[in-house]
Amino acid sequence: MTVHLDILGEEFLASPRMSTREETERLELLQGTLDLLILRTLQWGPAHGHAIAKAIEFKSDDVLQVEQGSLYPALHRLIKRRWISAQDGTSENNRKAKFYSLTTKGRRQLAVETGKWDRLAGAIARILRPTEERK
Amino acid sequence: MNKLGKRLLDDLDQEIREHIELATQENIDRGMAPEEARYAAMRKFGNVTRVKEDAREVWTLVWVEQFVQDIRFALRQLRKSTAFTAIAILTLALGIGANTAIFSAANALLLNPYPFPQPNRIVSLEARHISGKNGGTGFRDFLDWRKQNAVFEDMAILPWTGAYSWTGQGEPRRVVGGSTTAGFLRVLGIQPVIGRWFTPDEDTPGGPQVAVLSYPAWRRLFGGSDEILGRSITLDGRSFTIIGVLSSRFSFPGMQNCDFFTPLQENPLQGRYQHQYAVVARMKPGIPLARAQSEMMTIARRLEEEYPETNKGWGISVLPISRALAEHTRAPLTVLFSAVGFVLLLTCVNLASLLLARASARTQEMALRASLGATRRRIVCQLLTESVLLSVTGGAAGLLVAQWLIGVLRAAAPEDMGLDASFHLDPLVLVFALIVSLVTGVCFGLIPALYASRSNLSAPLKGDWKSWFGAASRTRLHSLLVAGEMALSLVLLAAAGLVVKDLIVVLHMNTGLRVDHVLTFYLDPPNGRYQTPQRSHALYDQLQASLKRAPGIDAVATVDTLPMTGGMTGGSFEIDGRPKPADWVDTLVQYNSASPGYFRAMGIPVLLGRDFDEQDAPASMPVAIINDTLARQFFPNEDPLGHTFKDDYDGSHRTIIGVVGSIKNQQPMRPPIPSVYAPYTQKGTGGMWLTVRTSGDPIKVASLARSTVRSIEPDILVLKMRTMRQVVSESLNQQFLVTTLLGSFAVFALLLAIIGVYGITAYSVSQRVHEMGIRMAMGASRRDIFLLVLRRGIVLALSGVAVGIPLALVISQLLRSMLYGISSRDLTVFLGVPVLLVGVAVLASCIPARRASRVDPIAALRYE
Repeated sequence: MTVHLDILGEEFLASPRMSTREETERLELLQGTLDLLILRTLQWGPAHGHAIAKAIEFKSDDVLQVEQGSLYPALHRLIKRRWISAQDGTSENNRKAKFYSLTTKGRRQLAVETGKWDRLAGAIARILRPTEERK
Repeated sequence: MNKLGKRLLDDLDQEIREHIELATQENIDRGMAPEEARYAAMRKFGNVTRVKEDAREVWTLVWVEQFVQDIRFALRQLRKSTAFTAIAILTLALGIGANTAIFSAANALLLNPYPFPQPNRIVSLEARHISGKNGGTGFRDFLDWRKQNAVFEDMAILPWTGAYSWTGQGEPRRVVGGSTTAGFLRVLGIQPVIGRWFTPDEDTPGGPQVAVLSYPAWRRLFGGSDEILGRSITLDGRSFTIIGVLSSRFSFPGMQNCDFFTPLQENPLQGRYQHQYAVVARMKPGIPLARAQSEMMTIARRLEEEYPETNKGWGISVLPISRALAEHTRAPLTVLFSAVGFVLLLTCVNLASLLLARASARTQEMALRASLGATRRRIVCQLLTESVLLSVTGGAAGLLVAQWLIGVLRAAAPEDMGLDASFHLDPLVLVFALIVSLVTGVCFGLIPALYASRSNLSAPLKGDWKSWFGAASRTRLHSLLVAGEMALSLVLLAAAGLVVKDLIVVLHMNTGLRVDHVLTFYLDPPNGRYQTPQRSHALYDQLQASLKRAPGIDAVATVDTLPMTGGMTGGSFEIDGRPKPADWVDTLVQYNSASPGYFRAMGIPVLLGRDFDEQDAPASMPVAIINDTLARQFFPNEDPLGHTFKDDYDGSHRTIIGVVGSIKNQQPMRPPIPSVYAPYTQKGTGGMWLTVRTSGDPIKVASLARSTVRSIEPDILVLKMRTMRQVVSESLNQQFLVTTLLGSFAVFALLLAIIGVYGITAYSVSQRVHEMGIRMAMGASRRDIFLLVLRRGIVLALSGVAVGIPLALVISQLLRSMLYGISSRDLTVFLGVPVLLVGVAVLASCIPARRASRVDPIAALRYE
């Protein structure tokens, strides 16, 4: 099943666009989910913007399709909070690119955010399916 | 925004480009055609501009950045259209500035400026006769009022001011002193800042000569020295001990120049027929004005019964002090207030029409911004910033104008108006004017924003904003505004015209005496040396004789009260041998003393009998001359010569030996008062006015006269040297002030109206350039185009005038009480002003009309 995911943004930031290939329902997620996904992706090592986008798509089995541009404001947000850092480097086809990597603080934050997300997901699941099996 | 953010944002451009490149390459690898690959990559990426903006917002405090951006943009826009900005700011500055200054003045005069505790408890008590006359109070009445009432904390006599000669430090200096009773400070509710005020014991006849200095006098004459108490000063040859200094905040209308105060030491046993003092009192806390009034009336009735000869018919009127002082300025102030309202309205209308014209020019810009993605909120914010910036700048400029104007008013106002050093800008008024103009600016400045939010943006983008909905109604609104401006200007101009014409007429009114070739001045001999009447008379005789010998002088005379200076020495007039009828109403008659030849010198005709001459000496029969107003009132059907009457001031019985023409005592438009003249040789003395008839220009004789006087008595004070013509115009000082103010308002209104007409005509021309081109191509001559544009201006002017004239006719009724020489519907004014206004409007329209007729038809046709 593929779902559209509309992530609500805060008032003064534009909503990053994420959607799935088919247009069916829209699922609204809390802000910061994209941030979490980025942090997770970077846990596997530094990457540049395009690579992060591809990784998210790939790792979610193409369920999550990121409007790639919205990555960049998210990345800037993470840099401002000092959860990731940016370095200039060269990409695969010998072109200039900025590489992002987790900071120590970011690593710590990832654990915290993952825990929060798990709790949230669990709570929602309990409400939706009180008697059925939970994952 | 910090450095890191800045760097990252700078790099973001390239980063995005690289990203898209990569994606494109991937798509190509997957088998898409290059064009399609790039297109797919870009679509996957999303709105680049938005991404950049969002990234930017991470690093900045959005609203601060937006605000700064708005301000910078607003400044740039305002700078681009310099003419508009300059006119708008000028309009606001003059409107707000003038209004604030005048309003502050009116406020200061009417609504209470007194630096005393609870000044609204201070009242003035005036003796009012049932015949309508009012006057001062006698000292004995004052004492009774004070003793018998239960509603006032204390009562006092308003300081009786006079000039003194202060000797003891080189040249004799002129100082002004006031005599008052011991309760004065208690009435005001203040204390001296150094030392003390005089006690009731000191305020008795024969009491000690003590004085309390005013603060400015202390600084000016004694350098603010600490060793001031106990020092003695010599005034008019008498020695006074200083016992106190008043605070710098003490200020009372009419007493701004008072350098010191001494106890009145008035004789409590004098007769009751005098009416020379002004009385003030402070009501006890909790006592309402009505109660004070009724209590005083009861006392007045009691006195009437006890002393019927002197107090019959006299009541007491209790008024709050501010109103009492401003009584004679009420009508002009109302007029000025209204003018202020008009001018403020006019300013706002002008601002509105300016903004409206500008709005039309900017609809294209707004449509463009909207189509590029600007939210309505952003556009409104930006326009708001612009309007606010404009209004605030205009307001600041207005503040400067107001301060300057207040300085001017302070310097130019006649002394007794009360606009003294404590007169300052009223911040409340400034804020009010600012708010009004801000609201106008904001309302009309936001109009372009309304149109920016409409859905159909293609028309304005193409430049075809004329066909847009709203353009026609906007033009109509604009025309309405300008016509309204013209109407308002007409009202102000008519009012000013009436007042100006009236002043001119009044200035040339017959005063009953010769006004040209007469020099006047006041002499004040040092009291110490001329205590006895004989010595004083001898001095004046000597002065007059030697002045007459001087070249250029035809005649010299003296009088104790100069006409047109408002001096009043009133008393009652009782004919001997005539019993008073039951309904006798006491009339106040002016008592003067004059030298022989006075009437001739002043050009006053002797109608019956004779002038004074040498036979009227102190020892001979007391005589008097009356004026014909008195003669007509008291001797309507008989010859007054030979009758005797009781002189109210010295009690002697004088024989009437002559009747002279009546003169105006106060102002040229006020009717003459019945007057009595006694020869000055048979009267007491003190200061006297000298009137000198000259053969040539009176001013040329001034210094000669002064030196002649000084050569005889060097210590005499020579004051207020003026020509009679100057005296006449000075008597109209208040009228001059009001006329000047009103005239300035009117000129300002005219200016605004001209700008309005010019603006709207120019603007409509710029809108119809294309149409002009077509007309010219179809055969219209340059003249036709010229007349076409001119016609618009004329129509506007005429419609404004049509509304303005009836409005002006109605409003000019407000002026009726101020106009003495002309009617409030004066034809010259009501014909001249509309003609002037229409003429000026036509001229203003000529310039754009001419420009329109000069336009090249081919360029016009191409113009969209």
